[in-house]
Amino acid sequence: MSTNQASRTSAPPAPSTGPWAFLAQRWELVTLAALAIAPLVIPALGGALGGQVTNLFIYCILALALNVMVGYTGLVHLGIASFFGIGAYVLAILTVPMYPFQIGFLAAAVIAVLVTAGTGLALGAPTLRLRGDYLAIVTLGFGEVVKVTLRNLEQITGGMKGLNPVPPPGAGVTVAGIDLGKEFAIDPRWFYYLALLSLAGVVLAMRRLENSRLGRALVAVREDELAAQAMGISATKVKLAAFAMSSAVAGLAGCLYAASLSTTADPNAYDFNRSIMVLCAVILGGLGSIPGTLLGVAILVGFDTVLAPWADSWIQQMNVNPKGLSYLSFSGWRLAIFGVALVLVMRYRPEGLIPSRRLAAELRDGGAGS
Amino acid sequence: MNNNAGPAGTPLLHVDRVTVRFGGLVAVSALDLDVPEGSIVSLIGPNGAGKTTAFNCVSGIYAPSSGSVRFRGKRLERSFTLGTILWALAVGLLTGLLFAAAAVDVDRLWLAVVKRGMITGEPFTMSGAMKRLRGYFRSELAIDQMAGKWRVVSADGSDVLAIKRDLGEATLVRDALQAKVTARRTGPGTVPDATDLNPRAAAAAPLVALPVVKEEVLDRLAAGKSRIRWRGWLGLIAGLLLGSAGTLAVWQRGRRSPHVVARAGISRTFQNIRLFSSMSVLENVLVGLDRTIPGGVFSMLLRTPANRRAEAEARQKAIVALDFVGLSGDANRIAGELPYGDQRRLEIARALATGAKLILLDEPAAGMNPSEAGDLAGLVERIRDRGVTVLLIEHHMNVVMRISDRIAVLDHGTKIAEGTPAEVRRDEKVIEAYLGGEG
Repeated sequence: MSTNQASRTSAPPAPSTGPWAFLAQRWELVTLAALAIAPLVIPALGGALGGQVTNLFIYCILALALNVMVGYTGLVHLGIASFFGIGAYVLAILTVPMYPFQIGFLAAAVIAVLVTAGTGLALGAPTLRLRGDYLAIVTLGFGEVVKVTLRNLEQITGGMKGLNPVPPPGAGVTVAGIDLGKEFAIDPRWFYYLALLSLAGVVLAMRRLENSRLGRALVAVREDELAAQAMGISATKVKLAAFAMSSAVAGLAGCLYAASLSTTADPNAYDFNRSIMVLCAVILGGLGSIPGTLLGVAILVGFDTVLAPWADSWIQQMNVNPKGLSYLSFSGWRLAIFGVALVLVMRYRPEGLIPSRRLAAELRDGGAGS
Repeated sequence: MNNNAGPAGTPLLHVDRVTVRFGGLVAVSALDLDVPEGSIVSLIGPNGAGKTTAFNCVSGIYAPSSGSVRFRGKRLERSFTLGTILWALAVGLLTGLLFAAAAVDVDRLWLAVVKRGMITGEPFTMSGAMKRLRGYFRSELAIDQMAGKWRVVSADGSDVLAIKRDLGEATLVRDALQAKVTARRTGPGTVPDATDLNPRAAAAAPLVALPVVKEEVLDRLAAGKSRIRWRGWLGLIAGLLLGSAGTLAVWQRGRRSPHVVARAGISRTFQNIRLFSSMSVLENVLVGLDRTIPGGVFSMLLRTPANRRAEAEARQKAIVALDFVGLSGDANRIAGELPYGDQRRLEIARALATGAKLILLDEPAAGMNPSEAGDLAGLVERIRDRGVTVLLIEHHMNVVMRISDRIAVLDHGTKIAEGTPAEVRRDEKVIEAYLGGEG
């Protein structure tokens, strides 16, 4: 994953002409192909590493969801994890054996995505007149409200225990003699491919969004809301669309998350920390940039969930830290490294690691001409 | 050039005694202005005369404190229709349901309707769920299971009245206790209704030994029915009122928003250029074309052939629009990187792309040298020749005098003169406003 991402960084900066756009498409295809072949070549992906990388893909989807709000539309959103959580819980309620619904994964995922999109609209509609810091506070508050609600609706959500077991996708479905549910439960590569496929679909949708009427309207509203309105664009509708799309995609990520863990985990898994982590990844990678967002997640979340545990176990194997002192373990320094890296990136590359063409221009000119 | 000017028929834009106040300050006072179709009308005056405020008023950024702006005889605002009311009611209903869910304790409702059926091992059917739902709102006693024993519980599960090994026995106890509770409910001060008449209960009562239940628990259970209903209705009505009123208030405030005016056919440029500076020149014009591109979100996501065609057509139109202002060579440059004069022309191309019938140009020649200003005057005339009416604010007098069909002069928010360029040039008040009085 990270090697592919790195090769993408070294690509020349994107000029805006047609042929390059085609090549950029190809880069995505190369990455996708490499990731698709990887589990067949690297046996470790059939074990715990496979689960970690799947988790990374899910975070990528979540970050792309946030990117619609923060990157394209310029609305600061500090509560993306709540939509992630709502998606996970709706999927769980519709599939766990504890409740009578027990519909299939696909149908449940569709409903969960619709519910999160609706929730996004319900949050967006009354808060549209807010901008900047005020919207940030509202979304922050919403995130906390959702977390506490999930915790307190004990009869529905199972309180701190969460809902489990969420059956794997394809439970009870047999295709060509293969019991899909069983396969999903045994081999993490099934989930790896499901998450990869979902991620590819979301990336494709985002790319199409960028080059469409709605995508341009989102950016226009970010750049200058009044001028956009004077062009006949309803800022209200455009922002609501951003809320709905962002929430829906975050809900999809939540579905995959709950299904891959086979539990919703407790509501604290959907708290402010997760929102901020994803926001950091988007800003680090480059606001409004798809490859930037993916790289940001690969670095931040990959560092946190793949590299740090690996380094810890390596230190333990080397037996340099027999007393288990926290300052000698890698995890003890995790957040410090995290913080320093963010400070450095913001100092030397404020537009992010792979900036979007549009935002790079904005920062370079200091918004000249407006 | 002045042949097609003159107030024949209804003017395209009719500004009727518009006054704009900001607190105690009067920015525009009782302004009357007619813009006939196919003409170029200029608004001139010293700085601070209220010209841009008048523009903002026409384009919907400010609402006039009094007076009206009519475009083709119509006020430019969203009309109050049945759809508005239905929308407000729908939002209100949703809010109401949310409030009601909180008021009747959705958590316990879920326990009673969904979980209890699962606990007792009944197959989940719609009719069973509806029965339990009715039971919850009637505050009826129910049966659930714990550790292999059957319990008689209140509908919300908060009171456990009896524990039995045998389901049949538990059912009899439940019915008997329910009869007791209902008897209390139908006591003095309350009226029994159809939902309270339970023939099973009366028959079952003498067959089983009833557990001892405290009087106050029975009282509480008896009061449960009216309490839960009262709460539910209160939540529903409060939410309905709050949601509908809020929706209407928001609708009212957005009634005359700039995009409504723009969609009606008035477009504008801004005195301090407001381009989407990080987008490309072409994209800026494409945003202007936004309304003319058909297709929704799903055709965009699926990239249907119709969607591709619409996008390609829009690009073609955008190039034509850029050609009109002489910027087609810069289509792929970032808008913020263009020289100042080009940015102004791009703003005009973007405004024209909306398909507006009236275009408001706010100082399009500001900061240009005489030769550039002359080119711009030519551009404005070409816009007029395309059938787009122009309302102009400008300080370059030779531009104004050369191209205007009519000129209105503002000073301190008041119109002091209006007429053809020749008339305005001779007007005493205008000379006084520009050069100062003689004492």
